[in-house]
Amino acid sequence: MLDNLYTLITGASEGFGKSLALECASRKMNLILVALPGPELYYLADFIKRNYLVDAIAIEKDLTCEENCIAVYQFVQSMNLRVNMLINNAGLGGTMLFSEGSISFYQKQIKLNIVATTLFTHLFLDMLKSNGPSHILNVGSLSSYFYLNKKQVYGATKSFIYSFSKSLRRELKNDGISVSVICPGSMNTNISVTCLLKTSSRISRLSIMNPEEVAPIAISGLLKSREVIIPGRLNKLFLFINKLLPDFIKTMILSNQMKNIRSVTAIETNQKSILLTEKQKSLIAS
Amino acid sequence: MKIFITGATGYIGHQLALKLANQGNVVHIIVRDQSSPNIPVHNNIIVFPGDITYLSSIKKAMAGCEQVYHTAAIVKLFSKDPSLFYKVNVDGTRNLLGAAVDAGVKKFVYTSTCGVLGASVKMPKSEKDPRTESFDNEYEFTKFLAENLVKDYVHKGLFTVIVSPSKVYGPGIETHPVSVNWAINNFIKGKLTIIPKPSNILSNYCFIDDIVNGHILAMQHGLGGDKYILGGENLSYEDFFHQLRLLSGSKARIIPAPRFIVHIWALAQWCKYLITKEEPFVTIKGIHHIFINKIYSNEKAKQKLGYRPTPLQEALKQTIQFLKQKNYA
Repeated sequence: MLDNLYTLITGASEGFGKSLALECASRKMNLILVALPGPELYYLADFIKRNYLVDAIAIEKDLTCEENCIAVYQFVQSMNLRVNMLINNAGLGGTMLFSEGSISFYQKQIKLNIVATTLFTHLFLDMLKSNGPSHILNVGSLSSYFYLNKKQVYGATKSFIYSFSKSLRRELKNDGISVSVICPGSMNTNISVTCLLKTSSRISRLSIMNPEEVAPIAISGLLKSREVIIPGRLNKLFLFINKLLPDFIKTMILSNQMKNIRSVTAIETNQKSILLTEKQKSLIAS
Repeated sequence: MKIFITGATGYIGHQLALKLANQGNVVHIIVRDQSSPNIPVHNNIIVFPGDITYLSSIKKAMAGCEQVYHTAAIVKLFSKDPSLFYKVNVDGTRNLLGAAVDAGVKKFVYTSTCGVLGASVKMPKSEKDPRTESFDNEYEFTKFLAENLVKDYVHKGLFTVIVSPSKVYGPGIETHPVSVNWAINNFIKGKLTIIPKPSNILSNYCFIDDIVNGHILAMQHGLGGDKYILGGENLSYEDFFHQLRLLSGSKARIIPAPRFIVHIWALAQWCKYLITKEEPFVTIKGIHHIFINKIYSNEKAKQKLGYRPTPLQEALKQTIQFLKQKNYA
């Protein structure tokens, strides 16, 4: 603990957020961990404090609610914590036909993926400016490059993150704030996703990365002020091919790939898997 | 008291069944292969033919039992048929939990593994510490899924407790090709012993008698839905064999092997598997498990259960004596 600067990570209790928190802790960064209410967040904060000798503060809030985002900021301010890195990681994933999802689910997805990211960035902007050089890392997705079946709303929210980050980067360049966006492919982030990914095709299975492999790439990319971070050689290759191939071939390949993937709403980082039914669980087990 | 035990032909279940039978309990065990040499023999042990993947056979064996110890599992790093892990470790556990509710079982102790907690960073891991790495093998993943099931059943009215042993050694039946007992036996026989390099990698070793007692203590004093690490001492490969050398006087040579050598060995095993279809006990994906620290804290079990692990030297002495007798027999 050389200084009292903090890195704030949203959606930190499991999946990619947890790996990001552990990676930052191993680089001796103090942490403010925000996630949905639950004991895991406190266990993680406690684990980090004991094992990495940095400070870790847990704040449990559901960020789909705007008031809660503001409350997090007010708490940080009241504790006089100086944030110089903001990692907007909390997000809600989902793979389903548009007609299969409920409007309330899509609203939640948009609130968490888009509104919370925008709000957090806005709330912490002045603090980041005064604690510069600062960093903002937004978590996008490879699906913002590919227009995938069953990922309409999710993909669109991640496209927002992508454009938002690139645009903001130009704007904040002179304020000592570097904005990066990471676009990971599929990750084994929680049980339902892990089980779901076991059912996907061989080539997509090969590109799956573990969150603890992606996290170091993310943080070193952030520290090097990279604009866009694409983790994984295969993912980079996908993107490269994507640029070369004509549209109709891409559509053919991708719709074929997604056909095998069962519709499931999986919660990407922050939230508990609430949507796995007993039937799906037994399917996974079989 | 009538007690039901699964996995009684396994290392832990076998010793547990004998101990409980010796205490005067009537022990019901469920066995797939009636001719298995690993079936514990005792006047108080009643053998039921069956399989935890068949609900009807469980129901018959569990009838009238007040307590259940579920120690059965597919325990290996690799299987030709990965669905077997799900079928036995997850579905089998679900069958048992359901049957226990129906049979009015009072308490259910589930044998998990420290493997679910994963690698340690600096301090010994405790029950609440998060796993820092993704699951890379079906064994740990299915034990994790089963733990969640066992915890869920607390809300369905079943009193369940989870115990998590670390690396177990000590007198008992041999059920695995590469166990701590096997390594100890190799070493005291004076055979060349290969340990991972760097040799200061830490592991947790626990004595079978302590594990058996820990199960019984968890049944008596464990809180519903809670989990207890049943561990022994944390020490490096180097120290472990150093202790063994002091106690046994073995002159066996110890060679630390760097990762790439073990990698080649795993590769050779894989080639052998492709040709002979004999399942490898080391896989390329699995070798990093022996190159990471896995230390655990048994504080919670000590405080809440009254768990009193045997001192390392005493436990090793008994193990050496047992193995030597077996070698001469």
